[in-house]
Order: sequence, then structure tokens, then C-alpha cells
Amino acid sequence: MLNVNDLEARHKKYKIKSYAPYFVIFASVTVAIVSITSFILYNSKIEIDIEKEEQNLPVIVQKIEVTSATKEKNETLQEVEQKTVQEAAVEPVAAKEDIKAEQKQEKVSLFPSLDFMGKIGSNNQVYYTKETISTAQKVPKEITIDIKQEEKKQEEKIVPKKVEKIEEVAINIDKKTPINIARKDEQEDLSHVIKRFNVNHNPALSLFIAKKYYQLGSYEQAYNYALMTNEINSNIEESWIIFSKSLVKMDKKDKAVETLKKYISHSSSSQAKQLLDEILSGKFK
Amino acid sequence: MKPSIYENSRDVFLDTVNAKDYIQLERVSTIYQSLKDSIEKPLKMVLLYGKPGTGKSMFLSKLHHNLISSQKVCLYKTPILDENEFFKILAQDLYGISYEGELNFTQFIKVVENKELLGTTIPLILLDEAQLYSTPMMEKIRLLSDTRKVKFVIALHKTEKEDIIAKEHFQTRIWESIRLENASTSELKIYIQKKLMKVNCIDTASMFTQKSINLVHKLTDGNYRDVNKLVYTLFDIYVYYANNNPNKINTSEISTKFIEMSAIHTGLIDA
Repeated sequence: MLNVNDLEARHKKYKIKSYAPYFVIFASVTVAIVSITSFILYNSKIEIDIEKEEQNLPVIVQKIEVTSATKEKNETLQEVEQKTVQEAAVEPVAAKEDIKAEQKQEKVSLFPSLDFMGKIGSNNQVYYTKETISTAQKVPKEITIDIKQEEKKQEEKIVPKKVEKIEEVAINIDKKTPINIARKDEQEDLSHVIKRFNVNHNPALSLFIAKKYYQLGSYEQAYNYALMTNEINSNIEESWIIFSKSLVKMDKKDKAVETLKKYISHSSSSQAKQLLDEILSGKFK
Repeated sequence: MKPSIYENSRDVFLDTVNAKDYIQLERVSTIYQSLKDSIEKPLKMVLLYGKPGTGKSMFLSKLHHNLISSQKVCLYKTPILDENEFFKILAQDLYGISYEGELNFTQFIKVVENKELLGTTIPLILLDEAQLYSTPMMEKIRLLSDTRKVKFVIALHKTEKEDIIAKEHFQTRIWESIRLENASTSELKIYIQKKLMKVNCIDTASMFTQKSINLVHKLTDGNYRDVNKLVYTLFDIYVYYANNNPNKINTSEISTKFIEMSAIHTGLIDA
């Protein structure tokens, strides 16, 4: 005799069991779709952020001395430009030469050295702290500008990024006026790179920071970061060049010459030789 | 619909081997005809094989039923495993000789060789479940068939025994080898409906739609024995509902739920 009630209960169980895989498939497909969608949305958000960041990147603005004819029209611009002109005057002309020299250095290849740090170990360089900066009275005034003051000046240099204004400035170019190149949010970028360097201690980043500081005229910081770069990797020629140049700028020509000589004896770097010649002949000050 | 209709429909599917319940299907009848033709030829052995539940026993039963009136034919549904007993029963059934003592193979083959054939027809022995016979026994059956005084139709499952039969020395003596297979969907529909029609259950026969046939075929793989068990249980469930809860019965078609319940009960669905 059939126990139909029991059979019905078993059938109910069987139906639930048979539908279970469909539920699982449906649930997994739903989860997959949701995760893919969120991933795509997240990616697109990142892309938008990158685009925004790119849009916020500093814009190179050619600043020129405004001619008397255009002064009346661009009074606000005039003020900013005059300031930048003054700052440009403070910056040593050698900085431009350095940029050229750095570009040349990129072409030179280096050979690995393992005992170099040992050789210069006895002449361990000291990082420049705030105290050392404050005591470095002999450094020329335009070089020892306080970093904060420099930052303020940099901020002043920053011109609001508006295409229309840039066009107006371009129209008012006077051929005789010197061209000053400034980057918007340069300090912000630099601080971002410093943060990154503090995290991963990549010598490429510290070299970049050193070069930037050198360009900005903050030679103590340039010296410090070049030294850090050398400690991490003693075979980066550019770093030694910046290191030596910073020393010269800090009025430590002898130390710069000594360092370069040691480096040349070790690596036979043509760039270093060239710089040494320039320092010795007084071309590089 | 009255509960008795379901009861009648149920009883048709009782799993019994009865030649009267044989359902003539196109493919099966073709095979049957070829088997009949083979028997009329001077064959030694006919091999009938297939999976369990494909209708081998029914086939032999039908053959026995049809031939008994025209020639000497003996059907052994269960194997006689004792050799002595086997030859004694054969001597009794074929020639009406009863031995009280032992009858070994040498004695029996002498009896067979000395017997003159009655007319032109050779006595036919139908052995079902032949896979249960031992290999030496099968060899003796082969030697018996070599006398050409007796024919054998051997039905067996597809097992190792079939491999023995397939050996060369056996193969040469097999006139025909017939393989029985499970029913296709269309054959299954005809099988179920013809069975129900035989007992005038036209209403229940018409309830089997193509959908329900497909489900039955899916569950049973067209195996006649499984189909019989499933449909028997199915109508048993119908009988229960007809007596206790007639509202649950849809008379236009067989309920999928009931088929599944039957499959659970018969073990075709593991639930």
C-alpha cells in the first residue's frame, strides 16, 4: 500500500532540491553582474578622477612684461607679471645652464660600482636641517630664501588656469621681454612626490625631488635629496651632479670639487668632468 | 472517472512475462520476424542479448507461444545449473525419456545423435538468463548444437558471458545475433497506450500526452521493466486520489507531479 502523504513530502523535498541549482546559478550570475558593474563603475570613476587631475595639472604660462600700450587693459595681470619678473631676476642664470647639462647627462650610461660608498664613507655628508639652513649665513640672499617664502612666491606666480587669459597673455608678447616658465601647483606636486618617496624610497623619486628643489632654488633641500639618492643608489650620475651643483650654490665649492673628483676617479663620468671644469674655471657659480 | 478504471489501468502494468501481454511494436516485430526466419534456417545457435528489461524474456515467451503449436520447442526461463539435471530435463522434454540415475554429457549426446528427427523441423531449446550458465556448460551446449539435432536460442544480459559467446569458436556457430534495446519515445507511447487499450482503458490511454511520455522516457530511459513499474505505481497513486481526494486529479492529462512521485517511490528519482 502506498504511503501517498510521505510520497508527497518527499516530492516536495525533491522539487526544492531540483530548483536549488537554478537558484544558485541565478544568485551567482546576479553577484557576477553586480560585481562587474561595480568594477566598471569604479574604473570609470578612476578614469574621471585622472582626467580631472590632468585638467588641474599646472599650465605653463608665458609671462611677459606688458607693454605700455596694454598696461591699461591688463592691470591685474601686470601686477602678477611684475612679481614674477622680479623673481626671475633672483634666479641665477646658471640654473638654465644646469637644465641643459642635465639633459645631456641623460645620454651618458653608468657602470656599476660597489665600493664607491666605502671610499667616500669617511667623508659622510651631513643633512641640512633647519638649523643648518639658518646658520648658513654665507649663502647668498637669493639662494637662502626660506622655503616657506619660496612657496608663497610660487603661489603668487600661479596664474588662474583660464584659457581665455592665456590667450590674452599670448597676444601681448613682447619679443624683448624675458620668458619665465612657472608650473601651477608645483609645490603640491612636489609634496605629493615626497610623500611617495617616503613610502617606497625609490631613488628615482628622490632624484626628481632634488632636481625640482634645485630648479626652485632650494639648494639645501636639493643637496639633502641628492644625498639620499646617493645613499640609496651610489651609481646615479645625475644625483652626483645635482649634489655637487647644490654644494657650489651653497658656497661650498671646495667640497663640491672634492666630491666630483672622487666621483670622476671612480666612474670617469664625462658630465662630472665637465662640471668640475666649469666649477674650477668659474663658469659655474 | 471511476477508481476502477485506474485500478484496471494499474494492473495492466504488473511486471509479468506473459505472451498474451506482448505488445507488437514495429521495431520489435521486425526483430521477431527475423528471429523466426533464422529459426527456419539450418542454424545452430541464435544469440539474443540486451540490457535487463529490454524484453528478452518476453521475446522468448512470445516465440515459445507462437511455435509450440507447430514444432517441438522448450523454454527454460530460469537456468538449470546442475549439469546432470539439465541433461535429464532436456531428455525428458525433447524425447520423453526419463532417467532415474545420472545422465552425463557423453550419455546425453549419444542419445541426441541416435535420435531420428521427427519430420524436417529440429527441436528448439530456448534458454533465458543464459549468462548464469557456467563456461563449461556453455561449451557443452555448443557441442550439442554441433550435432544439428537440436537448436538453441540463448538470451543473456550483456556481461562477461557474452564475451565467451563472442569467442571465435562460438561465433562461427551463431547463426544470428540479435540485440534488443530500450524503447524510443514514440515506441514507449505506443507501448503504454496499446497496453491500456487492450483492457479498454481508453480514457487513461488518452491522458498520456507527449509531455508525460517524454518525462516517463526520461526517467526510465525506455526500459520496459522500469516503465511497467513506474506506470503501475502511477496508477496506484491515481487510485489513492480517486478514493480519497478526487479533486486533485486532472482527467485531461497525466500529472507530472504524480509521475515524479511514482519515480521517487520506485527509486528512479533519488529524493
